[in-house]
Amino acid sequence: MASPNDKAPCLDADLAAFVQGGVSIVAASRVGKRSPVIARAAGCRVSPSRRQVTILVSSSQAAAFLEGIRNTRAIAAVFSQPSTHRTIQLKGIDAAPAPLQDGDHALIAAYTHAFCEELAPLGYHPDQVRAVLSCEADDFVAVTFSISTAFSQTPGPRAGEPLVA
Amino acid sequence: MRITLDVIRECLEGTIPAGIATCSLDGTPNISIVSHVHFVDSTHVALSFQFFNKTRENVLANPHAVVQVIHPVTGARYSMDLEYLHTETQGPLFESMKAKLAGIASHTGMSGVFRLQGSDIYCVRSIEKVPGQELPLPPVRRNLLSALRVCAERLTQCNDLAKLLDGALTCLRDLFDIHHAMVLMLDGSGQRLYTVASRGYEQSGVGSEIAIGCGVIGVAAEQRTPIRIMHMTADYSYGRAIRESVEREGLGGRLETAIPLPGLPDSRSQMAAPILAGGRLLGILYVESPEDKRFWYDDEDALVAVAAQLGMAINTLAQFSESPDETPPAAGQAMPAAGAPVVVRHYAADDSVFIDDDYLIKGVAGAIFCKLLRDYTDGQRTEFTNRELRLDPSIGLPDLSDNLEARLILLERRLSERCAFLRIDKTGRGRFRLNVGRPFRLVDVG
Repeated sequence: MASPNDKAPCLDADLAAFVQGGVSIVAASRVGKRSPVIARAAGCRVSPSRRQVTILVSSSQAAAFLEGIRNTRAIAAVFSQPSTHRTIQLKGIDAAPAPLQDGDHALIAAYTHAFCEELAPLGYHPDQVRAVLSCEADDFVAVTFSISTAFSQTPGPRAGEPLVA
Repeated sequence: MRITLDVIRECLEGTIPAGIATCSLDGTPNISIVSHVHFVDSTHVALSFQFFNKTRENVLANPHAVVQVIHPVTGARYSMDLEYLHTETQGPLFESMKAKLAGIASHTGMSGVFRLQGSDIYCVRSIEKVPGQELPLPPVRRNLLSALRVCAERLTQCNDLAKLLDGALTCLRDLFDIHHAMVLMLDGSGQRLYTVASRGYEQSGVGSEIAIGCGVIGVAAEQRTPIRIMHMTADYSYGRAIRESVEREGLGGRLETAIPLPGLPDSRSQMAAPILAGGRLLGILYVESPEDKRFWYDDEDALVAVAAQLGMAINTLAQFSESPDETPPAAGQAMPAAGAPVVVRHYAADDSVFIDDDYLIKGVAGAIFCKLLRDYTDGQRTEFTNRELRLDPSIGLPDLSDNLEARLILLERRLSERCAFLRIDKTGRGRFRLNVGRPFRLVDVG
C-alpha cells in the first residue's frame, strides 16, 4: 500500500496487478444488524488512482449480497491465489452497485481464463472452473468501493496485519 | 427440497478456496479464506482454527457466519448459514482434522505454516444452492453400498480369524477396488499395534509394529477415530512414524528386530479405521493408494463399516478359538526331521527369536514359539491347543484382551516367510500342529 498525497489508502502496482489476476475473489456484506452475506466475483478492476476497486458479480447469484450493499454500503472482499495462498482483504464503507462499463465483459472473459490457468495445476478442468463462474452475460453487475482498509491474510504469523507502504 | 449437509459433503473437500463471511458487533463485514471445512455430522461442520484473526474475533462476539463451498467436480456452489458453538482443542475430531490439515499443508507447500490450534464447531442452520450452471457428475466408480453388502455376507461365512482377515482384504480388493491394505492388532500392552495381515505389498510386513500415536495408523488407534488423508504428508509418513516409534521405546540399538512396516513408497491417499468391539480397540484397518484424492467421505463410511463388522467378528471368533473341537485333530503329513541341526536363539529380555542368525519374531509370539520347541524337544510333542497356551505361565499372555489367535497367525506367517523347516498348521478349531523338518537346538540367551 502507498498513500502518496493523502491518507486514503491505495494499492501499489503489485497489489493492483494481484487483485486483477487469476485469483479467487469472494466478497461479504451485511443484512440486518449483523448478519453476514457472501458472494463470489468473476473479475476485478482497479481505478487509475488505485483507490477504488470494482468487483463483478452475478445479480441473481448475489441477490442477498447486493441487498446488503444497497442497504449498508459495507463491503469486505478477499483475493486469494490458490497455488501460493497469497491472500489480501480489502474493505470499504461506500460500496454501491453500478452497471457494467465498456470492456467489463472482456475483463470477465480474461479473468475466467486466468482463473482456469491458476486452477489447472490443482487438478481442475477449465469446464469446472467455468461452471463455478457461470452467469448469463446480462446478469452481471459491478460493485465499486473506495478502499478504507486493507490487510494481508496470507497464512502465517503476519496474517491480519494491515498492508502499509 | 431442503438440502442437507450429508448430501453435499463432497463440497467440503475442494481446493478452490471457500470464503467465510462474518460481522463484528458494529456490523462491519469481514471475509477470509478457510482451508478446511470438516464434516462432523449432518448438522455440524468444524472449521480449522489456525491463527487468531478477525473471523475468530467476530464469531466469538457474533456467532453468525456464512460459508460458500464449491462441489469439486460439478462446480455447484452452496451457501451455508452457520452458527459458531464452541472450540475443541483435543480429542478425536481435533486429531482427525489435524491429520487432514497436515495433508493439505503438505500438498500445497504449507507444511510448518498450517498448524491446527482448535476445531471450531458450527451448527449448520441452512444450506442454499447458488443458482448457476453445474457439470454432470461422472458415473460412480463403485456402488459402495452394494459392495458393502456383499462384503458383509462373505465375512459372515468366515469361521476362523485367518480366513476373516484375509477375507476382508480380498473384499477390499475385489469389491472396493482398494489394492493396498493391512490389518494391525493392538497388543496386550495397549501401546503397540502389530501387522497380522496385509495385501498388495512386495513384503507382507507381518509382525511389523507401530506405536500408538505414530502416523495415520497410530493416531487413529490412539483417538479411536477414522483418519482419512487425500494428499499424503510427510508428517504422518511411515518412515517418520517408525523412527519415532523406535525412539520412543528406546530401541535405537535394536533395529535388527524391527520388521519393516509394509507400505507404498509413493502413497498419496490413506485411510485408517479403528476396529472396535464392546467399546475396546482391537486394531486398525488401514488402506492406501498411489492416487491423490482416492478416498472420499463415502469410502470412509464404507471402511468404517467393514472395520465395525471385523470388530464384532473378531470378538465372536475369539470366544470359540480357545475351546478346542471335540473331534480329534486331523491327521497331517509330518515333515521328516533331517539335515544339519540349526540353532534357535531365544533372548529372554524381549522373547525375540533368531533362527541361525535370522530374526524371526519377538514378544508373545516369540514366547509361544519357544514353548512349542521346548515341548517338542522334551517329548517330541507336536499337537497343541490354544487353551493350554493361554494358561501357560511361561508365555505370560497379558490378559484375555490379547488376541491369542492373532499371535498364532503372526507366528505361522512369519515361519512360512522366514523358515523352510518349521511350520505351524491349524488342525481344527483351537488346535494346531508343529511340524519340524530339521533337527534344531534351542539356546536361551540372557
